[in-house]
Amino acid sequence: MKSRPNLYTNYAKETAIFSNNTQKFWFFILLLLSISLCFVATDYWILLISRSLAFSIGAWGINIVSGLAGQITLAHGSFIGIGVYTAAVLGGVASDSVWGLELDMLIWLPVAGIVAALFSFILAPIAVRLKGLNLALVTLAFLFICSHIFSNFISVTGGAGLGRKVAKLVLFGVNLEDGLLIGNFLLEKNQIQYLMCLFLCIVMGFGFKNLVRSRAGRAYAGIRDGDIAAEALGVNLFRYKASAFALASFYAGVGGAMASTISGGVEPGLFNLLFSILAVAIIVIGGAGTVLGPLFGAFFYIMAPGLIQYILKITDLTESALPLNLGQIEAMVFGLCIILFLIFEPRGLWGIWFRLRNYFKAWPFSY
Amino acid sequence: MTIFFQATVEGLSLAAIYSLVALGFVLIYKSMDVLSFAQPALAVVGAGLISSLAVDRGIPFWISLIIGITLTGVIGLIVERTFLRPMVGEPVFSVAILTIGIDILLRTTLDNWIGLNPRYMGDPFPTFGTFGSTEIGGVTIKYLEIAGLSTAILIILLLNIFFRVSKYGVAMRATSFDQEAALAQGINVGRIFGLVWFIAGILAAFAGFFITGGFNTLSQTSFVVALRALPAVVIGGLDSIPGAVVGSIIIGLTQGYVAYYQYDFELLTGITLGNGFSLVAPYIIMFFILVLKPDGLFGTKEVERV
Repeated sequence: MKSRPNLYTNYAKETAIFSNNTQKFWFFILLLLSISLCFVATDYWILLISRSLAFSIGAWGINIVSGLAGQITLAHGSFIGIGVYTAAVLGGVASDSVWGLELDMLIWLPVAGIVAALFSFILAPIAVRLKGLNLALVTLAFLFICSHIFSNFISVTGGAGLGRKVAKLVLFGVNLEDGLLIGNFLLEKNQIQYLMCLFLCIVMGFGFKNLVRSRAGRAYAGIRDGDIAAEALGVNLFRYKASAFALASFYAGVGGAMASTISGGVEPGLFNLLFSILAVAIIVIGGAGTVLGPLFGAFFYIMAPGLIQYILKITDLTESALPLNLGQIEAMVFGLCIILFLIFEPRGLWGIWFRLRNYFKAWPFSY
Repeated sequence: MTIFFQATVEGLSLAAIYSLVALGFVLIYKSMDVLSFAQPALAVVGAGLISSLAVDRGIPFWISLIIGITLTGVIGLIVERTFLRPMVGEPVFSVAILTIGIDILLRTTLDNWIGLNPRYMGDPFPTFGTFGSTEIGGVTIKYLEIAGLSTAILIILLLNIFFRVSKYGVAMRATSFDQEAALAQGINVGRIFGLVWFIAGILAAFAGFFITGGFNTLSQTSFVVALRALPAVVIGGLDSIPGAVVGSIIIGLTQGYVAYYQYDFELLTGITLGNGFSLVAPYIIMFFILVLKPDGLFGTKEVERV
């Protein structure tokens, strides 16, 4: 069997994290490339990629509840917000109007996830009673209630229109706000953030992959494909729906807390309906229910504006010559992508990648 | 007591607006099993069309009102024909997300046109009475609100007659009951879907006008008002037309009373509910009603088979 690494002889091998050596090889290459990237790339690219990585953590979260367990949620943005503000209170600096405890990152990062997960238990009993559109509407209500609280709970969020500073980067008692001096080499703050995002993204990504191939992951897929049938087969609906929401919120909290350190300040108005729709759109565009999909979707969302700017630049079009401004073009492209992907490629960018990969794998044979 | 009546009147006029949007939601849901998140966008697009015809082009208001409303219906028709027809039979999740995509497209186009300054509708309502309102027994009523209420009642009556009497109304009821059986009876289900979206577009445009008419003006955030019809539909039950109306009345009145009594309540109990609580109150009610009655007050209970 040694000479045929692509032949799966048992279930464990097929569901392994890397099912063949090629994947292992390319993952290793990609890892090396992305680590070395932070010493080569300009600040602009480092910032963009760190944001994409942090966003993909949040996107994996909604992928658990919507992609795997098949429950539509429009409240994911609120859980991200809860994570961000928990981190900001625990790790941020206090001022006259806002609380801040200036704790270590080792505390605020996991606690941000845990608090978001605890809040998701408000939704859990309802999620069990409802499904489909009604559940989506309850989460919509939750979203509006949350954003009302966000904009009025001034000592935590800084209030509507003002916002507050986010958590400080202090890891193991070392303040990383001004970078880290190793010997003669200064590791700048954005490089540190990039490496942190990369590390977290890999950890959470493997976590997601493991979830998919575990008992819980199979139960989620069962609930998605037919919840009554799943219940008849012995899947505890309450436990698995609640845990799907809790895990999703944990991912949301951690991803949000990490992403917020990149932006520096957060205004409660950010966590509105559009933000939650964005979360859904990212997994729809990336590929719902797949492991790599959210990563693709997050990169697409962050990189698309840059790409549009680049296209405008090479086609010699200035912003004033166009009927729409840049933000509106982005919104249009995003809206169109949602529609077109849903109609023509429901598996999203991952589906395109999948077909492309298989085409080259079988090349020159087209079957 | 005057405050109570004032709150009631304002609540009811909001209810009229909500019920127009809500009816659109229900019609689409009943016939296609699709929850259209694009409905609020259609409402503001309708308002935008009216404003652009009446103010920018200088066409007399009443004519542009009719043209604008019809055009919005046509936009609904086009949206259904181009984007939703290929999605027939797809999971509800996908279709709901797709309507969000449509919502983004429509609203971005509109926001670009609106720009930063709010747009007027060019309607004559602000010129009636004292700044568009009159006083009956100490209660101030806007003429726009009266018009909104009577239009809503009229439309609900007309729709009722349409569903009972006309050929297409009956065909629509048949389609919502069972699509395949309706198809087998020779009903052109595709055409019914188009018609439903046309009517929903018209209803949305009416609502859009009453949201933005007079001194209210059309701005980039006007659609939020139309979006609040969603809790109304959910409270009443997604597939019930009387439910949509009752839900709208509940939501409208709640919003009216909360807006007027929140301050007194806060003084009395010492609990601060925060700015703009009246806008969130509908969602809180929806939250609790869904917990108690998952299918809404009037909705039919879904029977599921494995």
